[in-house]
Amino acid sequence: MPETLEETKSVTQIATPWNVVVHNDPVNLMSYVTMVLQKVFGYSVDRARHHMLEVHHKGRSIVWTGDRETAELYVQQLHGYLLHATLERAEG
Amino acid sequence: MMIRRWKDKSIEFSRIESIEAELLKQVPAAGDPEGEEKAEERLFPSPTSQGTPGMTKDWDEFVRPELRHLFLSARKLVEEDLAGMTRRPGKIGHLVVPLTHADSWLNALNQARLVLATKYDFTEAELSFNHTPKTFSRRDLVLLQINFYAAVQERLIEILEEGTPPKR
Repeated sequence: MPETLEETKSVTQIATPWNVVVHNDPVNLMSYVTMVLQKVFGYSVDRARHHMLEVHHKGRSIVWTGDRETAELYVQQLHGYLLHATLERAEG
Repeated sequence: MMIRRWKDKSIEFSRIESIEAELLKQVPAAGDPEGEEKAEERLFPSPTSQGTPGMTKDWDEFVRPELRHLFLSARKLVEEDLAGMTRRPGKIGHLVVPLTHADSWLNALNQARLVLATKYDFTEAELSFNHTPKTFSRRDLVLLQINFYAAVQERLIEILEEGTPPKR
């Protein structure tokens, strides 16, 4: 039975979604952030602009949620464009 | 200085004044954090604010060197492009760069702005275009340099958008 419990925990950990969060940064231009979100996630200009404005007004925006490996890849790409981005476990 | 898309494959910088040429030539060096801790932290931030075990260590080992290489490559490409700037009589400069270099230019300009802003500890209010310096210290001149680079970035983004059909 302990083995089964351990296995269940691992599956739960893998299944936990992760958020990719972009944080406000006074240096990055609004147009640049919008362009990067379009390039990295393939978002429409409207959706990218929505996230950019959320970052600007609220200080952060969850721009993507999903598995950890992909989230890490997205954060790496965003860092490559010099955006301040992190990943965090999705709540709930 | 005027910046425009040229023959659909290039970006042309024309009528470059001496001071603009000088500021452009400083882009590659300005983006080098030169080991300064705060600038390094901004160029290579942690991937998580939650202190996830193992993640930061792996990031430092595998991702950070890749990012460092990417940033250095962008600055080098811009430096090579700038070496091709011609000066006409009257010291007006002219430069044509391939459109495919636009991403590297945006990246190098962003590095320069981030490093300068971090080194000189500018606030959000100071970085807005509405800020008018009250003195003309070295710091105020750096702010003008940052805003000049921002204006070039804005124009390059406009040029890139000109050739991209809107995705809605």
